[in-house]
Amino acid sequence: MRGLRRFFRRFRSLTTTRQDEARLSAEIEEHIALETAANLRAGLPPFEARRQAALKFGCIEAIKENYRHQRGLPFLQTLTQDLRLALRRLAMAPAFTMATVAILALGIGATTSIFTLAHAVLLKSLPVAKPDELYRVGKESRCCYWSTWSQKDEWSLVSYDLYTYLRDHVEGFAELAAFSAGEDSFGARRGGSTEPAGSYPGEHVSGNYFSMFGVQPWAGRAIAPADDRKGAEPVAMMSYRLWEEKYALDPSVVGSVFNLNDKPYTVVGITPPGFYGDQLRDPPPDFFVPLHDDEADVATPNQYWLDVIGRGRRGVSAASLEAEMRTGLKQWLGAHWSQMNANERALFPQQTLYIRPGGAGITSMRDQYEHWLRILMLTTAFVLLIVCANVANLMLLRGMERRRQTSLCMALGAQGPRMVRQALTESVLLALIGGAAGLALAFAGTRVILNAAFPARAGLAAIPIAASPSLPVLLFVCAVSLLTGIVFGFGPAWMATRVEPAEALRGLGRTTVRTGSLSRKGLVVIQTALSLALLAAAGLLTTTLQRLENQDFGFVQDRRLVVNADPIQAGYSEKGLTPLYRRMHDSLMTVPGVSAVALSIYSPMGSNYWGAQIRVPGRTPAGPGDESDAAAWNRATAGYFDVIGEKIIRGRGITEQDTETSKRVAVVNEAFARNFFGSEDPVGRHFGQFPYPDNQYEIVGVARNARFSSYPALNKPVGPFFVLPEAQHDYFRLPDGKDSEQHGSHFMRNIVIELRPGASPLLFAQIRAAMASVDPNVPILAIRTMKEQVSGQFIQQRLIARLSSLFGILSLVLTSIGLYGVIAYNVSRRTGEIGVRMAVGAARDAIVGLVLRGALLLILFGLLIGLPLALAAGRFLGSQLYGLSPYDPVVLSAGVIALAMSGLAAALIPAVRAGTTSPMDALRAE
Amino acid sequence: MGDAKQKTDVLQGTLALMVLKTLDVLGSLHGWGIVKRIEQISGGLLSVNQGTLYPVLLKLEQEGSIDSDWGVSENNRKARFYRLTRAGRRQLAAETRDWEQQAAIIGRFFSVKAEDLR
Repeated sequence: MRGLRRFFRRFRSLTTTRQDEARLSAEIEEHIALETAANLRAGLPPFEARRQAALKFGCIEAIKENYRHQRGLPFLQTLTQDLRLALRRLAMAPAFTMATVAILALGIGATTSIFTLAHAVLLKSLPVAKPDELYRVGKESRCCYWSTWSQKDEWSLVSYDLYTYLRDHVEGFAELAAFSAGEDSFGARRGGSTEPAGSYPGEHVSGNYFSMFGVQPWAGRAIAPADDRKGAEPVAMMSYRLWEEKYALDPSVVGSVFNLNDKPYTVVGITPPGFYGDQLRDPPPDFFVPLHDDEADVATPNQYWLDVIGRGRRGVSAASLEAEMRTGLKQWLGAHWSQMNANERALFPQQTLYIRPGGAGITSMRDQYEHWLRILMLTTAFVLLIVCANVANLMLLRGMERRRQTSLCMALGAQGPRMVRQALTESVLLALIGGAAGLALAFAGTRVILNAAFPARAGLAAIPIAASPSLPVLLFVCAVSLLTGIVFGFGPAWMATRVEPAEALRGLGRTTVRTGSLSRKGLVVIQTALSLALLAAAGLLTTTLQRLENQDFGFVQDRRLVVNADPIQAGYSEKGLTPLYRRMHDSLMTVPGVSAVALSIYSPMGSNYWGAQIRVPGRTPAGPGDESDAAAWNRATAGYFDVIGEKIIRGRGITEQDTETSKRVAVVNEAFARNFFGSEDPVGRHFGQFPYPDNQYEIVGVARNARFSSYPALNKPVGPFFVLPEAQHDYFRLPDGKDSEQHGSHFMRNIVIELRPGASPLLFAQIRAAMASVDPNVPILAIRTMKEQVSGQFIQQRLIARLSSLFGILSLVLTSIGLYGVIAYNVSRRTGEIGVRMAVGAARDAIVGLVLRGALLLILFGLLIGLPLALAAGRFLGSQLYGLSPYDPVVLSAGVIALAMSGLAAALIPAVRAGTTSPMDALRAE
Repeated sequence: MGDAKQKTDVLQGTLALMVLKTLDVLGSLHGWGIVKRIEQISGGLLSVNQGTLYPVLLKLEQEGSIDSDWGVSENNRKARFYRLTRAGRRQLAAETRDWEQQAAIIGRFFSVKAEDLR
């Protein structure tokens, strides 16, 4: 308490220095006067009286100094003095200051922007109440539908039936909420308005979703369990973002009716700003509706389409939750034993689930980007190391230059620790300025990266990742800059104070100790090695991107347009779609320049595909866990293969003759034919989709393999694929006696248009008009060229390739600057020696060669160390590469050559300068 | 160096206590008066280096144990007068107790003779 009061008084006295000094002087003067008076009274002569008084008082200056130490805060005062001196010194060396700050800003900025992204995607919690109490089901996030009574490795998707069973039987959860795993979208229009419907992302959520997250509605009320029942009034919640941007926070939106997919919903509330649902999504949902909106999925006990997050009861451990949930799953599966087939029953013992912390929500974004972010973090860590090496080099040079001054100060009595402290103050100040500049750079950089990775779409929300660094990121930047300042300031400062003052003062700036020369060379070697690794990684990723983009896709990208339109959002049902497609086709064909049109569920490299288990008569089905029966499929109108330019190599494609009444047919690709029929001719053979009859379709044609999707991986061979005609509906008798068809597989959301040679691809307005003339309520989600669609699949790869190239070039430049600095400094120190050499007859070429040899040696050392690093980088990238080996010799040698050339170029400048030294000048300078 | 520092620390500690006690007994007093009183009682502790009192006074004032004001001294000049505050009185009481306790313990140790322990 007393200490604290004293501290405040001392702190306050920093501002009253002058009064305090005056007061002390007055007191001392008065003291001596009183003592003198007493001495006079004792009979001493005046002069002696005064002398005795002064003697008894003691050394006035020492006491004043002591007093001052007690009065203020000497630490703070020294710091301000050192800071003022440091600022003056830095201002006197603007080139050094600017270079150091710029280099530091680049390094810290690059690291911070990547760290900001990594933090947001990998570590951040959802903006909900007490996220640490939340648990999710599933180690991995899966998409989006599943329908067998077994799930591989773990259960991560659940059905509505399973969800309610777990909700009602698992005690450990205070609340358990479910929501759709896939992305839903709604054609939305305010009731009574005449504007065309806009398409917005949405989500189906259970009635307790908002109460489980502890999220309060911003306006109105949240969706409640009473809304999530069969026959309940349809309600929806709108995002604050949409409410603000489209409806200008109009309070009448709450309680009004909106048509979502042409069905009326009452908007009962607005979600709070900043709430973006249960996971990072691009774009985040704008509408939330109860699960029961999707009646068909809710009613099917083995339609798994939901993710689950729950709030654990206080004191219940994750392990006990997991045990309870597993028991619940097994009991539920047991209750459905009669509906399971032999395979599923055999897999029953292995069925399990895992409980994971759910504070970050469903982490599909993390699963998708984790590896890339790790690569980027490693890359920027390398860049930061190179930057640190460069800064260390600059600091060492500065320390050398400062040695004479330091020696002089010490000869005059300055204390070593104080000198170190002063130098440290300067380097930490420099590093902090660099850190601040880096932070600004990082903010801009994160913006740019986010815009490139997740391009903004008009009318939709941006991905909810803030470009501004969060608190941990700020702390990280602070720590990095402080550390850089301390580590790289301390060494040179300490070295400078170790010099014998006499020696430094004697030798005209020439010293016999070559302190720091070796460490500076070492730093350049390390920089070269790291740069090689970065350049190799950048080269590998860039080449991969080129190979990916220029691979043979098996379909034609030129003169093709893709229109995304969604009839579901206009309220169409499965029936009566074929005439709609006919009218769309005919209407689009009237647009000038269009030569062919086909509709399909998916277009090549657009998004995902439907999956199926294939059964062929006479072929033994694959056992449990075996995926050799799997195939992907699509449904399309007549002429589809011609329109996308996929060649038919046997038989025929889908034609007008495939109608509802003709035989059920399919066209398969080469991979399908080879997988299921080996070398036999597949045309005329039959196959079916499990669990339906195995002679469902007759194969009428075989198409060339075409890459239809970037899933599972672009560097794997194209898998089995088949295409069914749109006009043919498949009806099957289900085990429960009802008739079913492939639910939803007749909604053709992709319209592929082939243009005549020479036609302008900018037909967007005419295409919209042609579509609107058929039905203005069908929202057009997007129109793009096939080229754009394909290159859209490589956004991530392109971004990574560009960023790593940027970092590679940055490291190359920094390394060259570092090398230049070292060589130039060495040359300037050897001026005398060079002068002597030339005076005794050395040729200019020999001098240039001498300097270049030294530089080359450094580069060679660096490359030698860098080679294994580069190989390790290739190995680390391994699975991300396509069409080349991680140890690709061309890429490696290109990196080596680039480094060697730029290094030599950097060394050439001081070398030539050394060669043009005039011997007379050099010797005179001695 | 370490030795000298220790000595001054001890001196400062005792000096502070003496200052407090002096002000307790004599009331408001200026620096020179305190010095004279301490000299008088301690018999020469401050006969040299009287100036060392001032840092001690500053520290006590910063801690809030004493307070000071300008006044007029015996020879009609402006002088700084120090007086004990309430906190200072409490501190003095506490330190007096501590000191007496310590002194008693040390005194008992010194008075013990070898045969007493048999």
